[in-house]
Amino acid sequence: MPLQTQGIVLKNNKIQSLYFLLEIDCPSIATLIKPGQFVMLKIYGSQDPLLRRPFSLFKKDLGRHRQKEKRGRFSILYKKVGRGTQKMTELEKGARVDIIGPLGNGFTSPPPLSFRNAILIGGGVGIVSLYPLAEALEAGRKLSVFIGGKTKTDILCLKDFKKLNSNIFVATEDGSLGHQGTVIDLFLSKREKLWREGPSPIYSSGPLGMLKGLARALGSKRFLCEASFEARMACGFGACWGCVIKTKDPRTPYQRVCKEGPVFNLGKIIWGDR
Amino acid sequence: MTIGKLKLKNPVMVASGTFGFGEEYQDFMELDRLGAIIPKGISLKPMVGNLPPRIFETEGGILNSIGLQNPGLHQFIKDKLPFLTRIRTHLIVNFFGNTQKEYIELAGCLNEVPGISGLEMNISCPNVKQGGIAFCSDPRMTYRLVRAVRKSTQLPLIVKLSPNVTDIDSLAKIAEEEGADAVSLVNTFKAMAINIHSRKPELGNIIGGLSGPAIKPIALRMVWEVSQRVKIPVIGMGGIVKAEDAIEFILAGASAIQIGTANLVNPQTSTEVIQGIKKYLAENKIHHVRRLIGLFRP
Repeated sequence: MPLQTQGIVLKNNKIQSLYFLLEIDCPSIATLIKPGQFVMLKIYGSQDPLLRRPFSLFKKDLGRHRQKEKRGRFSILYKKVGRGTQKMTELEKGARVDIIGPLGNGFTSPPPLSFRNAILIGGGVGIVSLYPLAEALEAGRKLSVFIGGKTKTDILCLKDFKKLNSNIFVATEDGSLGHQGTVIDLFLSKREKLWREGPSPIYSSGPLGMLKGLARALGSKRFLCEASFEARMACGFGACWGCVIKTKDPRTPYQRVCKEGPVFNLGKIIWGDR
Repeated sequence: MTIGKLKLKNPVMVASGTFGFGEEYQDFMELDRLGAIIPKGISLKPMVGNLPPRIFETEGGILNSIGLQNPGLHQFIKDKLPFLTRIRTHLIVNFFGNTQKEYIELAGCLNEVPGISGLEMNISCPNVKQGGIAFCSDPRMTYRLVRAVRKSTQLPLIVKLSPNVTDIDSLAKIAEEEGADAVSLVNTFKAMAINIHSRKPELGNIIGGLSGPAIKPIALRMVWEVSQRVKIPVIGMGGIVKAEDAIEFILAGASAIQIGTANLVNPQTSTEVIQGIKKYLAENKIHHVRRLIGLFRP
C-alpha cells in the first residue's frame, strides 16, 4: 500500500557526469519497498515544476536505530535532464522532499528455484531498478549482468554489481568502455553460451528503444522476460491514465506503466507506437 | 449548498478524469469528506484511448490527450460502481456520447442505477454524425442535446462547458433554458507542444487539453461572466491548487468548485481546500460559504 509522506535528504552527491545519488531518510516508505518499484518525488513546497517525477528505487537500508519506527532510508540514482532534476541537484542535507510510494508492481522474484541462472540487462539509468533485484536473486544463483550506455560516463552501478556474485558485461555505443555497440548486441553475442548453462529468466530495464530491441531479438520464442518501462507520468498512482503502453490484453490494450507496470512481461507488449 | 435536488456538505468536488474511479485515492485521503465525487467520464461502449505519449508538462500546466479511455457503461456499473457507492458522499457520474442517441441512452440507463446522485454531461466531444464537430461548438446542436438528455433523466443534471467556443455565456444560457440544474466550467483548453529536436509533437494525438494553474485566470473570468448570465448554480474549475484559488472562484460567482489537475500532484488537495475554506470563513466571520458566492464587487 503506497503512502504520501515527507522524507529528509541525507545525501545528494554527484557520482559521475550528469548522475546524482540522493539518499532519503523515510522509514515509513523504506520498509515497504520491493525490487522494481518506484516513488513519485517533489521538492517540498515547490510548485515548479508542477508534476512530481518518477524515480526507480535503488538501495534501501533498514538500519539499526534504537526505535524501530526510525529505521529506514532509501536512495535513488537520477540523471540531470530537465528543470525538475536540475532543481533536485540543489537539494542539500536536511532538505524536505514530498514522496508518494512505493508504487507499481515490481519484478516477480524470486523466480522458480529451477532457475539457477538469471540474466539482467540494463540501459543507462535503467540499470538502477535491477540492483535491488540482483540483491534478491544473488543467493544460490549465477547472475549475468549486462550494463549499457552511450558512453562510459553512462555506465552506472558497476562497483555495486561487482560486490555481488555476478558476471558483468559492459557495452558502450562509442566503445569508450567495454564492448563497442549496444547492450542488446552484446547480450546476443553471449546468448548461446549463456543458454548452454541452463534455462535463465531475463530481467531488463531501460529506454523504450532498448526494450524494443530486446523483444525483437528474442522474437516469438517462449521466454520468461520481465522488463521495467519508463514513461512520462502525471500522477504515478493510476488516476490519470497518462503513462500507458500498448499490450496484447484484448479488453484494456493500453495499460498503465505506473499501476499494472512498471514491470511487464516483455512478450505482452505491442510495439509500433512511438 | 444545493444543485437541483442535490444538497452538498461542502462546495468541493473532484473533477472528472483527474480522480480515476475514486479507488486510486483511498490510500491517500478520506474520500467521505468530499462534497461530491465525479469519476472518469463514461461512454456507452469501452474506449481504448489515444496513442501515447498522452502527457506533457508545460509552464504551470499539463497537456493531456488521454482520449477518454474508459471501460464503458456496463463494466463501469459492474466493476467501479460498487466501490463508488460505498463512499459517503454524492456520486455524480460524468458521461459523454459519440452521437445524440448515445447520450440519451446513457442518461436513461444511469437514471435507473441506484446510488447515483447526479449526472454531469461532457459536451466537448465530437458528434460523429455531424462530421466530427464538437457538440458544444454549435449552439443548435447543444440545445437539441441538452433538451433530449433532460427528458431522459430525473437526476440533477450538470452541463460541463468547454472554453473552446466563441461564446461560453450563450452556451450556459442554452443549458439553463433547456433544463440543466447547473453548469460546470471550464473543461481543458485545446493546446499543443512541439519538440524542437525531433520536430515532432509532444503528444501522440498532436492536440490535447491544457489544465493546471496556467489556465486559472481565464477560467475565473469565464466563471464570473457565466454566473452573471445564468441563475442556475455555476460550478467553477480550472487550475485550483489551494483554498485561496477556490475562494476566488466562489467570490466570482461559483456555488461549488472542482479540483482537477492538483489531485494528480497532491492527492490530498481537495481535503486541504475544504479545510482552507473553513478557516477563511471563520477568520472573516462568515457563517456559511453560501454568503461568499458572488461577493466579488468590481
